[in-house]
Amino acid sequence: MKEIVTIQVGGFANFIGSHFWNFQDELLGLAADPCGDPVFKNHSLNMDVLYRSGETQQGTLTYSPRLVSVDFQGSLGSMSSRGSFYNEATSAPPDVVTWTGNVSTHVAEPQRRNLFLQRLNEEEQENLTPVNSISGGSNDPQREIHDEDIVDFLDNGVKYWTDFSKVHYHPQSFYELGGLWMDSQQFDSYGVGRDAFSWDLRGEEISERLRFFVEECDHIQGFQFIVDDSGGFSSVAADFLENIADEYRNTPLLLYAVRDPGSYAIHKSQKQAISKNLHDAISFSRLSSLCKLIVPVGLPSLSRSKASAFLCIEDQKPYHCSAVYAAALHSISLPFRMEALGPSADSHNVSGAFDVNSVVQMLSGQGRKNMVAIMDVAMPAPFMTGRQAEKSLLGNLQPLTPEIAEDVEDLQAVESMTIHGALGTGGHQAPISEVKDMVHAAYENAITRPKFCNLSVALCPLPIPLPFPKIFRSVVGQHGELLGTPVNGSPLRGSLDVHSIPMAGRLRSSSAVLPFLENRLGNLRKFGTQQGAAGAELVRRWGFGKDELEDMGETLSTVVRELDPRSQASSDSD
Amino acid sequence: MSLRVLNPNAEVLNKSAALHMNINAAKGLQDVLKTNLGPKGTIKMLVGGAGDIKLTKDGNTLLKEMQIQSPTAIMIARTAVAQDDISGDGTTSTVLFIGELMKQSERYIDEGMHPRVLVDGFEIAKRATLQFLEKFKNSVVMGDEPDKEILKMVARTTLRTKLYEALADQLTDIVVNAVLCIRKPEEAIDLFMVEIMHMRHKFDVDTRLVEGLVLDHGSRHPDMKRRAENCYILTSNVSLEYDKSEINAGFFYSNAEQREAMVAAERRQVDERVQKIIDLKNKVCAGNDYNFVVINQKGIDPPSLDLLARAGIIALRRAKRRNMERLVLACGGEAVNSVDDLTPDCLGWAGLVYEHILGEEKYTFVENVKNPLSCTILIKGPNDHTIAQIKDAVRDGLRAVKNTIEDEAVVLGAGAFEVAASQYLVNKIKKTVQGRAQLGVQAFADALLVVPKTLAENSGLDTQDVIIALTGEHEHGNIVGLNQHTGEPIDPKMEGIFDNYSVKRQIINSGPVIASQLLLVDEVIRAGRNMRKPN
Ligand SMILES: Nc1ncnc2c1ncn2[C@@H]1O[C@H](COP(=O)(O)OP(=O)(O)O)[C@@H](O)[C@H]1O
Ligand SMILES: [Mg+2]
Repeated sequence: MKEIVTIQVGGFANFIGSHFWNFQDELLGLAADPCGDPVFKNHSLNMDVLYRSGETQQGTLTYSPRLVSVDFQGSLGSMSSRGSFYNEATSAPPDVVTWTGNVSTHVAEPQRRNLFLQRLNEEEQENLTPVNSISGGSNDPQREIHDEDIVDFLDNGVKYWTDFSKVHYHPQSFYELGGLWMDSQQFDSYGVGRDAFSWDLRGEEISERLRFFVEECDHIQGFQFIVDDSGGFSSVAADFLENIADEYRNTPLLLYAVRDPGSYAIHKSQKQAISKNLHDAISFSRLSSLCKLIVPVGLPSLSRSKASAFLCIEDQKPYHCSAVYAAALHSISLPFRMEALGPSADSHNVSGAFDVNSVVQMLSGQGRKNMVAIMDVAMPAPFMTGRQAEKSLLGNLQPLTPEIAEDVEDLQAVESMTIHGALGTGGHQAPISEVKDMVHAAYENAITRPKFCNLSVALCPLPIPLPFPKIFRSVVGQHGELLGTPVNGSPLRGSLDVHSIPMAGRLRSSSAVLPFLENRLGNLRKFGTQQGAAGAELVRRWGFGKDELEDMGETLSTVVRELDPRSQASSDSD
Repeated sequence: MSLRVLNPNAEVLNKSAALHMNINAAKGLQDVLKTNLGPKGTIKMLVGGAGDIKLTKDGNTLLKEMQIQSPTAIMIARTAVAQDDISGDGTTSTVLFIGELMKQSERYIDEGMHPRVLVDGFEIAKRATLQFLEKFKNSVVMGDEPDKEILKMVARTTLRTKLYEALADQLTDIVVNAVLCIRKPEEAIDLFMVEIMHMRHKFDVDTRLVEGLVLDHGSRHPDMKRRAENCYILTSNVSLEYDKSEINAGFFYSNAEQREAMVAAERRQVDERVQKIIDLKNKVCAGNDYNFVVINQKGIDPPSLDLLARAGIIALRRAKRRNMERLVLACGGEAVNSVDDLTPDCLGWAGLVYEHILGEEKYTFVENVKNPLSCTILIKGPNDHTIAQIKDAVRDGLRAVKNTIEDEAVVLGAGAFEVAASQYLVNKIKKTVQGRAQLGVQAFADALLVVPKTLAENSGLDTQDVIIALTGEHEHGNIVGLNQHTGEPIDPKMEGIFDNYSVKRQIINSGPVIASQLLLVDEVIRAGRNMRKPN
């Protein structure tokens, strides 16, 4: 077993993280459920990779995510920054033992626990005596009504990512940035976040949190780093990454730079547009220079994208969008925790285990050097039988990475795909060998093929926890099967109707990412470094010298040249 | 968190409205902070929406917890926080002083005076006050043996504004001894060489100075000793774990055998590194019953731990980067980056190394060291907010001692300096100034009095009476401050109430700069952050 430490920085990153951990928590609950589906009981996924075991001072054993999360002060809603496990129950404000003079108490309006969190709390109290899991659908008719209300409430009422979290977190996990005196609207560019990490003791404190989790690891395989890079958190993350590179030089890091559709809002003024374009260019340049592999995730409109063929997303709800991205992240992360390591030692339940380092090396270093990968998802994955299926699998895998080219033929492309919970003949679980054969056949018959594709397969589907948005169209069945005829009733289905889904997720290194890179390179030059560039003064205020920007541009254009087939051709000829 | 100051103001209507907005924001912030000031101030308990508690008596922490939205208030808050970064104290006084400068100005501006004239007066008054401070300060000689009594008095003055007396007095000795421990002749004092460590302990409020180091982790092998005497200490930054990243580059194309061979080769290299450490241990511990402890900044994986444990070595992994430096200063020896350089000279020494376990939290004490130049202040408290508040106070105390040594001067506190400077401005400087800028000097002089006034107010005394009494004494040439209990004038020197020279200087310097910017509204308020790193 090799541990992963997860890092989440910024608002949307934490939304995605919240769903991600809900999936993990659901898996844990289902595995412990005595009458649960066997596919969840023996999934051959080692949860210790992502979780740590601990103990409170009272001697209670705990199991919590190996996670460091950084966000604004106040972004935790009704959750305590110390998490929920290790809290001494304090109802009344305790005595002040350090001061005998006057005390004035200022109580902020309490953040009420929402319907879902109240219910979670109740169940927790009940469960203290009998052994039972938090999840697991109960058949109690009274409960069912209650569940309905919860699902509806969450669909419209989520404000903080903690509103829909059912996970117990460790007190070291949450770091809130205080003293910024800004809200998220103002914290909107690389420039405003520039000193936020290093200022005061913040950087040191955040690094200490990380060290706490790393020190426990016997053999860390890597970091999974999710950053909302749409604003100032991009530079917070960059500074943090710099620190990590310094301290844990040989530990691989997989970086997801995530965006919520809201961050693509149309800009009122030209000035704002310039600032935004420069931010995007600089953010990407900085972040990508600090890791070996970066995966940009987040479409301007997820709802209208091909990735939502079977989903109905409301772009303005982070609760919706983050669920899809989290599901994809989950799929990508499965090989890292498949029980049997090594290509030869496949089990009945999983196949194709590998570690973070392998995926990073494979995508970034095989053939040409390219540190940016595209993420695709099929949610849910189609049936794995019949001729039709071969086409539909590759066709259903659709990008969650913005600004990329479609239908690109790239003979140098390298891919890593995970398929789990796939359904075969008659809607039954497709055995691993069948899935593998099917994927191979699909590639054999495809018009364009990558140079290399690594495939991992697991039997265990994505479990849909109760706190999950109602985003499935009515053609999605209870086990995520795609139905010929839509089910009657409500046009949208959520966690009460769909209990699990088969998934396919893929990372690929392909020249399809060229537009993404070229846009950033172009904007960097146009607004930043060109003679008389409109944003020159702005980037100077953000603390970047001209040389620094030109270096960024140079690095970007090296990658572009590496990927651009035209420049490839010209270098071949001489 | 829970305190809010003023709303962000929409578009600025006109200059006068903007000016009054600035004045109001400054006054608003002053109102929030003024009850904090001095040993009779109020401690604030902030309870967040989710029940999280923060406890603070100092302006710096309070400001950081507040959601400030008005740009003016943010500017003042940044100045105050910078004040703390630079000098370690005086945040509350800074905010009060800026607020009072604005308040005093308001009177004159309402009478039709142009802000520019006031600002000119501020500039003159500031320069004069700084000169006066040079004369007023008490020099202290800091030779090889600093005057411990004066250091204690400064530390005590600061600590008693944050903690109740008995606790403050206990900490006074600790912070003074800590700074004296790490001080090296002819070198700037690096307070990072004092580690501040905490433990949560339900029923205990206790702080002690550990001459040596306390680490917040323990060994990771069940067979390693939990307590050892007479220990050689190896401080290292060497990877003692199987590191795969390089060989995996060709992973996908190499066959399984090749791969196995490479894995084995890499493992061998790690084992060899471990063996070199064991060899050194065997060399220095032969024929005696000394122990050997490795404290490593990089990882140590289970096979390496096994080897070390079998050799009777205690090993800790992933030590804080800063602890590498501290360990060497505390125990001697040197930090090694490669096992090729290992010699007995690299080793440090500690008389006692032991582990302390609280739930899942482990602590390792490295104590009984010779001539330490690094030490640890260990704080025990029943909960996080208590610990955090004590920690803040300890930091203040350490800064106060460091400042005193580096300033080679102190300033009489309890309002004595402010009253004296105010009188100096009114009696000596004002009349040398041409025209209406005189009023700027007067406003500045009046604003200085906000410190003794607020100290009086927080003690439940009548501010007018107090100011009359104090200025009366000063007129007669007696330098006095305020007795917080009786309101009577006292001699701060006799009472041992001293403030830092550099803190006062910084307040006098920055206050008028910000106030002037706020008064001259048409000069653009820069949006860029003005933040400095701690030094
Ligand atoms: N025993 C005392 N009696 C009167 N004034 C005191 C005493 N101790 C400290 N002071 C005054 O309290 C002020 C410092 O208060 P403090 O709460 O630390 O605010 P700041 O954040 O401005 O340092 C100084 O002006 C100092 O002279
Ligand atoms: Mg003070």
